[in-house]
Amino acid sequence: MKIKKLLTILVVVLMMVGINSCGKKETGPIKIGVLLPLTGHMANFGTMEKNSYEMAKDKINANGGINGRKLEFVYEDDTGKPDVGRAGAEKLINVNKVPMIAGGYSSSVTFAAAAVAQQYRVPFLVNTGSVDKITQPEAFNLTTNDGAKFYIYRMNPPVSEYASGLEGLLSQIVKPKSVFIIHENTAFGTKGAKSFAKTAKKLGIEVKGNHQYSAGTVDFKPLLLNAKKANPDMVYMISYVMDAAMLMKQARQIEFTTPKLFVGAGAGFTMPAFKENAGKASEDVVSATLWHQSLPIKGAKEYFDKYVEKFGKDHTPDYHGAEAYSAAQVVADVLKRCNGKYTPETIKKALDATNMMTVFGPVKFTSYGKKIHQNKMNTYVVQWINGNLKLIWPEDLANAKFVYPIDWAANWK
Amino acid sequence: MKKDKNKPAFITKIELIIIAVAIVLPFVFNFSPYFQGLLIFVLIWVILGTSWNLLAGYTGLVSFGHAAYFGIGAYAAALPYYHYHISPWWGLLTGGIAAVILGYLLGIVVFRLRGPYFALGTLATAEILRIIFGEEEWLTNGHSGILYMTTWVSKYPYYFTALILALGAVFSVKFVMRTKAGFYFLSIREDEDAAQALGINTKKYKNISTVISTFWAGMAGAFYMIYMGFIDPEVVFALHNISIITILVGIIGGVGTIWGPALGAVVMVLVQEFFRSSFFGLAPSWISGMHALVFGLLVIFTILYMAGGILGDWDLIRKKLSFLRKAEVSE
Repeated sequence: MKIKKLLTILVVVLMMVGINSCGKKETGPIKIGVLLPLTGHMANFGTMEKNSYEMAKDKINANGGINGRKLEFVYEDDTGKPDVGRAGAEKLINVNKVPMIAGGYSSSVTFAAAAVAQQYRVPFLVNTGSVDKITQPEAFNLTTNDGAKFYIYRMNPPVSEYASGLEGLLSQIVKPKSVFIIHENTAFGTKGAKSFAKTAKKLGIEVKGNHQYSAGTVDFKPLLLNAKKANPDMVYMISYVMDAAMLMKQARQIEFTTPKLFVGAGAGFTMPAFKENAGKASEDVVSATLWHQSLPIKGAKEYFDKYVEKFGKDHTPDYHGAEAYSAAQVVADVLKRCNGKYTPETIKKALDATNMMTVFGPVKFTSYGKKIHQNKMNTYVVQWINGNLKLIWPEDLANAKFVYPIDWAANWK
Repeated sequence: MKKDKNKPAFITKIELIIIAVAIVLPFVFNFSPYFQGLLIFVLIWVILGTSWNLLAGYTGLVSFGHAAYFGIGAYAAALPYYHYHISPWWGLLTGGIAAVILGYLLGIVVFRLRGPYFALGTLATAEILRIIFGEEEWLTNGHSGILYMTTWVSKYPYYFTALILALGAVFSVKFVMRTKAGFYFLSIREDEDAAQALGINTKKYKNISTVISTFWAGMAGAFYMIYMGFIDPEVVFALHNISIITILVGIIGGVGTIWGPALGAVVMVLVQEFFRSSFFGLAPSWISGMHALVFGLLVIFTILYMAGGILGDWDLIRKKLSFLRKAEVSE
């Protein structure tokens, strides 16, 4: 009797599975996986990137799709956690059978998921995850000569290069003598802080403190009071969005007016949600960035305007959105060059040969130092001026004159 | 020990069937490594739930910090790899031992506490470890975690390793509960003072229970590292994702039953994955955030209406669900 019951269950399960696996047609849409944090404390970023992927997809499909077939993105929510991200990547590969994965927001999640893609030999086009080791084959037990075996490709520069655009502003205009670094404690913040400490040393800036906090922190006052006591010329912060807003808000509350500059390392500091939540305290805050809509890049402004038109004035996209949009452009370009065969191998070959223009800038995967399959990019500096994110550095590309020196006491009244 | 004819056989027929099904199951799901992965997760939770159940369900030491042993086991596998490139597979030796050492040392402190204070003591331990492992970067690489390129893509080796561990956990509990020590555990659970008055060395038997329990929790952690290939302190020392879920697995399946936690593990993983994947894409995607809610409701229902869990109150469930009775009778 029991065995009969078991068999019945087995049959039902098999039937369910059968329904799932049938119906694959060569003329149907080409499905590409996208791994993003759509819920959890990084959902702000994930949502902006998903919106951008969808915008790009609609445009691509309206223009004839991929050689006549439609492009479709299958999203998997990594919830900002590395273990969920790995499970998500596995699901995309095993269940959705995608020949390629894009996305990857947080460094930790992207790195953990990249190992899965590498193991299954499915190309992973990273658009944001920025910790350096993601494109360093040695982290995956390979060498820089193993390009043919290495399936990870990255559009955005690694975190160690985020502040390079800032160097000019610091050495020519602000000339700070000391810096206090505050960073979130996962891979992105830790490695970013380390490389900025190196930059500071190079520029002759004394590092007066290097403090970390963990995601979900709401009370930054003890940390900021320590920073205030150290009396640095500049505060450098590596944070996601809610913590970034909280840091500036609480700096205002404890009247931490002595630094010449508050500088963010991209991520949270360029997001509209930062301005919304920090309010007045966001004014004149400077941040490193990888992109700005006013840059002389074809399509950048159109993308920005379209996004605002579609999602509202309070949802201005920053570099994260541009990265995602251009990743979708790269995906389409790569697929078009696959000659109708969409396997991980053909896609990898096409990725290797990528050399194109996107709204994020030119994309080409090169090797340098310990990295391979890494796109090289310039970085820039932005500042929140009268509630708008303006490009202020390098000066020849700027769309606004930087505000400096800054009277924080007057700003925060 | 003298043979007792009245004692039931160590392995019953139903258990043999369960083992047989468990061996066949991954081959049934041969077409989908994804389903095989889910099965492996079930097994990890079987190990953890069973481990917790021995301590909490049979010995009355309700641990709210099983993540501490799980995490130590995981790091025992990961740290030698991170520092000296020693394969994490050795963790299957070191993981359990590291957890036992931690459990023993911890016992010296927390066994002085009882009831809710014991629970809080264990909870605090896991949290302290989470913070220490996050801050001491030189040792653990902090929040960046430790990544290891897993040995195989195929799920079979992992599945059978986990199956051996899970069966080891379940049957070690079953075995010990048939010995004198098992009865001492129960007496400690029912009334520790009375047990002591009867001459039972309660400290010794609490320690024995802890050693077995923490050993399997540590093994689960080590296996997690080997299988997942990535850990960080927030993942393996997680209060809600490990410690609490371990308790829920035990409660839903049946506290103080041999197979209860195993059943609880199946229910937990199924609920979680059904909701996380929005019923495999058949339901609208907003439903995916609801797995915690549904699981919570399930726990509330269990505690209110069948405090013994699914297996513990099996007879009660059979009676209540009278419309199923016919089927049961015909069997």
